[in-house]
This record gives sequence, structure tokens and C-alpha cells, in this order.
Amino acid sequence: MEQRGGWSLAWRRLRRNRAAMVSAIGLALLVFACFPGATLWANYVAHHGPNDQNINGYVHEGGKKIPVVALDGTPIGPGLRGPYLLGADANGRDLFVRLLYGGRISLFVGFASAVLCVGVALILALIAGYRRGAADAVISRGLDLIWAFPVYLLAVALATSFAVGGIAMGPIHVSSQSLAIPILVIAVVYIPYVARPIRGQVLTLRQSEFVEAAEAMGASSLRIMVSDLLPNVATMALVLLTLIVANNILTEAALSFLGVGVPILTPSWGNIIEQGSAQIYTAPALTIAPGIAIILTVVSLNVLGDALRDALDPHARLR
Amino acid sequence: MGRFILRRLVGLVVVMFAISVIVFFIFNVIPGGNPALRMAGRHPTQENIEQINKDWGFNQPLYVQYVKMMDRLFVKRDLISYQDQTQVIPTIIAGAPRTLSLAIGAAILWLVFGVTIGVMSAIHQGRFLDRVLTVLALVGVSIPIFWLGAVLLYLLTYKYRTVPLFSWIPPGGYVPLSSDPAGWATHLFLPWIVLAVVSIGFYARVVRSSLIDTRSLDYVRTARAKGLSEWRVLTRHTLRNCLIPVVTLFGLDFAAAVGGTVILIEPIFGLEGVGQYAQESVAHLDLPPLMALTLYGAFFVVVVNAVVDVAYAYLDPRITDM
Amino acid sequence: MTRIWQMLLLLAALAFAAGCGSSSSTSGGGSGGGTPVNGGTLRAGIPDNPDHLDPALSYTNEGWEILEATNNGLLTYKKAAGGAGAQVVPDIAKAMPTVSSDGRTYTFHLRSGVMFSPPVSREVKPSDFKYSIERLFQVDSGGVGFYTGIAGAQQYAQTRKGDISGIVADDKTMTLTFHLTQPDGTFLDYMAIPFAFVMPKGTPEKDVSTISQWRVATGPYMISKYTPKQQIVITRNPNFKSWTTDTPNGHLNEIDVSIGVTPDQSVTEIADGQLDWYFESVPPDRLTQLKAQYPSQVHLFTRNNITYFTMNSKKYPFNKLAVRQAVNYAIDRRALVKIFGGQGTPSENILPPGFAPAYVAHNFYPYNLAKAKQMIQQAGVEGANVTVWGHNTDPTPQAVQYMAGVLNSIGLHASVKTEDESVYWDTIATQKGDPQIAFNDWNQDFPEGQDFIDVLLNGEKITSVGNNNTSNTDIPAYNKMIDQAREMPLGPKRDAIWAKLDADYMKNVAPWAPFMNRQWPKFVSPHLQGLVFNGNYFELFPSMYLTK
Repeated sequence: MEQRGGWSLAWRRLRRNRAAMVSAIGLALLVFACFPGATLWANYVAHHGPNDQNINGYVHEGGKKIPVVALDGTPIGPGLRGPYLLGADANGRDLFVRLLYGGRISLFVGFASAVLCVGVALILALIAGYRRGAADAVISRGLDLIWAFPVYLLAVALATSFAVGGIAMGPIHVSSQSLAIPILVIAVVYIPYVARPIRGQVLTLRQSEFVEAAEAMGASSLRIMVSDLLPNVATMALVLLTLIVANNILTEAALSFLGVGVPILTPSWGNIIEQGSAQIYTAPALTIAPGIAIILTVVSLNVLGDALRDALDPHARLR
Repeated sequence: MGRFILRRLVGLVVVMFAISVIVFFIFNVIPGGNPALRMAGRHPTQENIEQINKDWGFNQPLYVQYVKMMDRLFVKRDLISYQDQTQVIPTIIAGAPRTLSLAIGAAILWLVFGVTIGVMSAIHQGRFLDRVLTVLALVGVSIPIFWLGAVLLYLLTYKYRTVPLFSWIPPGGYVPLSSDPAGWATHLFLPWIVLAVVSIGFYARVVRSSLIDTRSLDYVRTARAKGLSEWRVLTRHTLRNCLIPVVTLFGLDFAAAVGGTVILIEPIFGLEGVGQYAQESVAHLDLPPLMALTLYGAFFVVVVNAVVDVAYAYLDPRITDM
Repeated sequence: MTRIWQMLLLLAALAFAAGCGSSSSTSGGGSGGGTPVNGGTLRAGIPDNPDHLDPALSYTNEGWEILEATNNGLLTYKKAAGGAGAQVVPDIAKAMPTVSSDGRTYTFHLRSGVMFSPPVSREVKPSDFKYSIERLFQVDSGGVGFYTGIAGAQQYAQTRKGDISGIVADDKTMTLTFHLTQPDGTFLDYMAIPFAFVMPKGTPEKDVSTISQWRVATGPYMISKYTPKQQIVITRNPNFKSWTTDTPNGHLNEIDVSIGVTPDQSVTEIADGQLDWYFESVPPDRLTQLKAQYPSQVHLFTRNNITYFTMNSKKYPFNKLAVRQAVNYAIDRRALVKIFGGQGTPSENILPPGFAPAYVAHNFYPYNLAKAKQMIQQAGVEGANVTVWGHNTDPTPQAVQYMAGVLNSIGLHASVKTEDESVYWDTIATQKGDPQIAFNDWNQDFPEGQDFIDVLLNGEKITSVGNNNTSNTDIPAYNKMIDQAREMPLGPKRDAIWAKLDADYMKNVAPWAPFMNRQWPKFVSPHLQGLVFNGNYFELFPSMYLTK
């Protein structure tokens, strides 16, 4: 069914969905807090950055000097104060500031890997679904092969492999510290998950009248894929994109838990949890706070994705 | 039909072979995981390291090493880990009942609660209860599973330990069913809940949307016109049909859970199942158990996929030409 | 003499009889250092399999802790804590060996009547010792390096044929003679560590940790069951008769080890009374609360350990002495101790305090961030890229991040890299991957300065793979001093040389930034008494006993 011109209709449907609007506003606020907000907070309220270690420092509260990190290594807990609003970690770093800066990384990794994943999946699904034959066989079997691996095992295997020496293939050199590695790994392991439903839709669409008409007119495969098929799978891709961003933020956290996520000097919500969980008994805020941040973000994205799906095509089912 | 099954079987073997080659390749390309050095200890001599290389075959061409490993894994079944030279297969066999206990118990929970919540949501579609349940379900799938495990463990077995409601929850570990059924259940209680929580939401939504779709069909309207209650309509006429996709999805997700998600839960609770073995093996870059675990995991997933496909083909012969 | 023998035999018989029934407490003595009580089963936990339960292969403190109770060698360490526990005393040998005047020949006389446990159940002979040492080479033991000084060992290592000519075993006279290629005072230590423990002639030339018919004992206890990833059961050795106070009968009847208990789980289970003892130390973040809540159950032991950052003098910018010294000025050792939960004492020495008189504390690098910055500027390495390496077992990642932060603040450009602990040690020991600056720690294999200074700083020991001299320090004059000290017999003259080298290396070479001697806090059941911490074997199982 043709969707061009259905966008404004979709937008109206979306606007009426209150939960979706709340989520969208929440996400916008989150992005604001993590990007410009982080620098503002660090400079004007906390007076230190995410990597400023202050192990032997003090906080002045109620006329008393409280050590940021006690002699037995216990960091200060949350309190109503500018610096160390949510307390400190074992290295004397400000948890709240790290949460804000970590949000930048987690959102970026989630979004970039989702774009990469959906982009590549779209291309593969279009080729496989439209061209069929050998191309389809190779692509489908290849995707099945990737999907047959337990997801986390494959992700950790790839991440470990790249993380040790980086990637060096011809002109492409990626250092092992680069964010490109988690982005790449997370994108790759979910390509089969995204490509399969899109391919299914392409299979259905290729038999529709407008495609047959284009073929009859002698349009090239590439032309058909780009001008006729792509716009029609775009809505599914958009919905999947939103849901995959949510999924990838969770995956980044899981990879950090397994030790192969974002390299530790750069804070991300996942590696803050991973490092903080060692001190869960003395400083539970270090583990609980980033987890809540992830939950709020992912729920908002899921609500938005669901709402998008309902708005764009109330009769569509993705599985 | 027979040809279809045969094709799937051949496909299975090819996939397994490809997976084994990929895993072997990935881990042999990683620098820094020199097993001979690890086995040689803290004062290794050059001769010692060379001897280990010779005895274990680390200095032979990769394809020879690969064949040897496959031989030890499938034929002789005496594959040994690089980390502490213990036998891999008995360890996996010992760990399997633990992982299955975790997965099956959680699966029962998430199916029961997922379907119930989905049905309730569908019955009250659009109304307050539906919205609340939908949001709860969405929250469930948005929680990082290992985080939930760690936080619940901290709260229930440490911070609020003295509260009678929680004091019986053990702080981790596993007790075999055969030696102490009550202990088995209490030790698995938290892991079951954690694994179920993140899956309930998904099933609830699938059941809900499937029900909503079928309820507008003709035969349902007829049943309603006959004066049957909403509940009767649901259970007698629509539930059975909408459960088909749920059951097939369940098969795939169960396999994925056993093969994948357990790697995140077992280490938190110290269950020593195959999931924890996998997590330790990857961390230690211990290739032999990793090879065995990945193959068994992939085998499990692929077999379930194939069974599901065959069942579908049986139900709908049009699919066999896809 | 006979009186004591009779008493010991009586005790052994009583203990054996008590072990057949339920646990009994013969003396009513209260808690605390009262009279030891015989009997009972210790419920222990360990996070993962011990590396090996084969004396020829085990090289971790968990393995050695168990093997100390089950197996024996010619010599052993006095089963005491602190400095007393560093003294080498006879075990299966009747007395300390006679050493030839050129220091190259050691002659031991064995006791008779020392039996292997079932199913081997026969007397230990000198030929068993000869076989056991040769077996080290056959199984590619990590300890072979200690025994290559025996004449004929090098050829045996390469050919694996014949035998080691330098070991002469005479079963009729129960004598065992070792001929060394060079004098080596440390040889006595090599005979006291588990690699030199005796196994029966004919033991297969592979890991026997899980082969129960060959995993036999000579000591008061034996490993009766080992299921990897599940459990280890240690029971009394029925064939054991104590021959000196240095190898006592042991009070416990049985030790049940559950494998797979996480550190946090162990704390809760010990507090609940479901577990008595755990192999590993208390997680740093639980210690304060445990000390406050259960003071009598927390024990703080001092290991002979040095925790440090090693700097590779072959890699820029650490090839400059000024840079290495600047790092020593720049780190606040108290802050690092905080990161380790306060479980340690700051130090800038190479040797640990437990090695006194070889340990003489010095303080060449008081904390001075400004001076460090200045030295970096003068050395002209400002902005140099540095990667700080560490492993990912807490709290090392925090320590590594601290170091990176410090390096950034003195003008370098630092980043962090962590690896899993099981592969980390190999990575930093390989020249190819050898980092610029890396977290490192060293615990004694045996209580002598040579185990630290020779192994870690002797330039002649640098190898391309398996290199323990991770700083690639090679000062010929110091190398020579080390080699000379090695040949000297153990004693104060030898210790004085180690003390001098400790100071000289840190002042003039600064190959490391040492920062802490780590302590070993343990949390145990209130019923567990008799904890004696020996620097080599940690808590001695035969000393432990359980009260009601």
C-alpha cells in the first residue's frame, strides 16, 4: 500500500498518543541534559569534570570536612550538594557528572550502531528480497549463520578480538580504544534481526502492481529498489530503528558487564555499572543510578517505537 | 516433505561447520592469548614453552590444530581446557542441568504471566488496566538483566535481609534438585524472577496484539452474537489460534535464552551452569570450552529453528518453496 | 623423646577413632586460643577450580595451601607465622642436608616409615624423589626453572631421555644426593616448595589432579575426591604417622570445599553460619562493615607481597630515568592504598617487610606533584602518549585509572587498557606486547630476597616470552652482585646484599613505582580457631580446629 502522503496522517496520530509525547519530550530533555547540560553542570555546579579524581579531597558540609574517599576506600554517598550530588566513586570522581557524560557515550553508541545496523540491513534485505536467486541464498544463509550464534558469545568474541589490537584492514585503521569497535560489534550482531522482517516485506512488495509496472517500463533493479521499494519499507525501518536504539543501549551495558564494552576511561552507563558493582555494598548508588538512567531511556524509546508503529500503519505487524 | 527435511539437515551440518571455523579463527587471531605461556607458569624457560607448544600442537598449521580439536571434541570426547587442563565435556554435562533448571523454571513463569497479562490487556483493551499493564511490560523489557540481578541480590540478601519476607533468600549458589528440592527452589527463586521479568513483557504484547487481531474475525463475532461471555469467546475460540505464533516464538526465544541470556545471569548468582562456564571461558580466552559451548549452543538454536520450520511446513505446505 | 612419640601416637589414634564417629570435642575449652579440639568437618569455599592438585604443576596459593596439608618434600618451612615461618626445616629428610665445601653437593638422609596414602600404600624411597624431580620436566611444569641447576637437568629437559645424572638415589641406605653445576644457597628453598614434593615412582607423566589412584598423599590429609567445578573432599590419610612437630596430625577430620562460591556469597554464608572458611580474601568493600560487626571473625594477615607499576625501560618515554623517577614522585601512595580498601601499607621498597633484615625501608620519593611535573618538562616528554595496563579484577582497574589520571596531571597523555587476569600476566611477560607502564604484583614463591630481586630485576633473566623482568632492567654491575649473592649460603651476609640492591635499584634506576604491601583480610566462622598464616602456604590446615 502506498504510504507517500501518509506521513502527515501518521504525525497526527502520533501526537494524540500521550504516552508517546511524554516519552519524546523526556528523550529530548535527556539529550539536552547529556550534551550541553553536562558541560554546564560540570563547570558551574560541580566544578570538576568526569575524570577528575579527587581521592584525597574533601567536601565541606555543615561546617565539617568530609573526605571524598574514606581511609578504607568507601566513597561519599549521595547528598544535596552541588559537587558529588549522587556521591563519588572509588577514584573520587563525581557520579552525577559521570552519568551525564556517560549518557553522551551511551546514546551515541546506541544511536550510531542502530543507524549502521538498520542501514546495512536495509541494503541486504532489499537485495536479497528483490533479486532473489543466488544473492538471496548467500545473504540469507549468511545472516542465518550470524544469528545462529548465541548473541552475547558472538559479540564478546568479536569485541575481544578487535579490542586487543584494534582493526587493521588495508587503509582502515581503528585503534583498540576507539568507540568504533563497540559500535561495529553491536551493529553486526543485530543485522539479521532487522534484515529478516524487512526482507519479508520486500518479498510481499515485489509482487505489487507498481513494481510490476516499473519493471515493465524497463527500470533497472537499482532504480526499483531505491525509488519504489525503499520508500515503502522506510516506515518499517524507522520503527525498527527506534526499537534497535533501545536494544543497543541495553547491549552496550551487557558488553561492558562482560568486560568488552566501552573502554573504561571513557564513562558510559554500562561501564559505570560494571565498575560500580564491585562496591555495591558500600556505594550502591554507583550501580543503581546508571541502571535507572538506562531503564528510563530504553522505556521511552520503546514507547515511542510502539507509538510510531501504531501511527504509521495501525494494521502493521512486524513479526 | 522428506526432501525438505533432508535439505534442512544438510543445512544444519553446513552451518555447524561454518560456526566452528569462525569461532576457531576469531580466537586464534587474537594476540595476547598464548596458552603455552599460560601453562608454563611464572618462571617459564624457553625450552619449557617450546615443549608445551610441541605437546599440544600449538606450533602446527591452523587447519591441523582445527582438525585435532574437532577430533577431540566429537570423536574422542576428551577435550581439555587450556586454563586448568580439566576436561571440557564433563564440565558442560555437569553444568547443563543447572542452566536447564534456570531456563525451564523461568520459561514457565514468563509464559504463564505473559499470557495472562496479555489476555487481561486484550480484554480491557484501551482502558486503564491495559495501559498500566502495557507500561509495566515495557519497563520489564527495558531493564538490563544483569543489573536487575545484582540490585535485587543486594537489596534482598543484604540491605533488607532481616525482613522476614526476604530472609530465606540465599545469596547465590546452586543446590541440585536431587539432593534438596526445597533448597533447589529457594536458590533458583531470584534467578527465575530476573530471567522471567525481562521476557514477560514481550510475550504479553504478542499475545495481546494477536488476540486483538483475531477478535474482529467473523467466527468470533458469531460466537459473541450467540451470547457467549467475553471470557468464553476468548478461551474457547480465539486463544487457541493466537497461541500458535506464541508457541513458535517461545521455541526460538527459549533456545536463545539458554544459549545467550544465561551468560549474563549465572555469574551474578554463582550458578555454575553452562552460561557461567561460557562467560569464564571467554574472559580467559580459553578456546576449547568456548568451541564446545558455542557449537552446542548453536546446535540447540539451529535444531529448534529446524523443528519449528518443519512444523510450519507440515501445517502450511506453501512454505516449502521459500 | 619416646614419651612425646607415645603422646603423638595416642593423639593420632584418638583422632582417628573420633573421626570414625561423629565430631566430638574432647576438651571443653572455650573459644579463643584455648586447647585445640580434634574432629569436625570444615566447610570451605573457593571461587573456581584450583589450578592443579598435582604438586608438580600447581603454582597458585590455593593449590599450595591444600598440598601443604597433603604432601611433603625433603624439607619444609617451619609451620609458623611471620618471620619464623621463613625458616627451612627438615621434613621427610631426617635432618638438614650435609653440604660439600664447594657448595655443590647436597646429601639428604631420608626417614624410614613415611608411607604413601592408599591405594599406593608403600614406603617413600629416594628413588621416588628422583622420579618426581624428573617428572617435573616431563609434564612441562611451571617450576622446572628452579631445578635446572642440577647437573644433567638441562640435557634431560631437552632430550627427555634417560635420567638426570646429578640426582643419585640409594634406596638401600635411604640417601639422596644432588650435584649442582654451581653453588646455590637458594637450593634449600627449592627443596621446600611443592614442586619438590614426592610422588610415587610410576606416576603418569600428565596432570593427575583428577586421577585418584595416583593423586596420593604423604601428609596428614589426602584428597579423596575432586570433581572440577563442583567440590573437593579432603580427609585424613590413614597411612600417616606424624614424625615431627613440623608435620602435625591436624585437628580437623575432614575439609569439604565447594567450588564456585563467589566472594560476596562467601561473606553472607559465613555470617549465616553455612560456611566456615573461604580461600580468598574479603572483598575490599565489605571489610569495614565486617570489622565493625564481627570483629573476632576478621583476621588481617600480612602476605609477603609487593604491588607496583612496572615501567618498561625499553619503551619511550620510560626509557628516561627522570621520567621513571617523576612517576615515583607523582603518585600518592596513600591514595592507592585507599583504592585497595585500606588493605595494605604504603611502600616504595622492592622487598616486603616480612623479609627483614633483607628489608630496610627507604623513602627516596616523598609525594611531590610539582616536582614530578617539572621533571617531565625538563625531560622534554610532555604530551607523550602513554597507555597504562592492568587486569580487570577489582580494584585493579581503579588503580590503573588513578595512575592514568596522575600521568595526565603531570603532562603526559595517558589512556587505560585492561585485560582479563588469566591472560594479562602472559601479555605483559611478552616483549612484543610489553606495555610502557603496567600494574603488577609479586608474591613470594619462597621467603628469600632472590625470589624477588633475581627473578624480577636481573638483566640476565630477560627473555622474549615469559619474561618476569617486565621493566627490562639490565644493569651489569647489579646483575653481577645478584649472581654472587645467589651462591652464598642463606644468612645475614646474603640479606645485607639484598638490602643494598633494593636501595640502589630504587634510587639509581627506579625501574618500578612500588606502592603497597598488600594485606590479606580473612573473614571466618566464629567456631574456627587455630589460624596460623604462613607466608608460603597461607592458613595452615593442620593447625585449624573447630569449636562448638
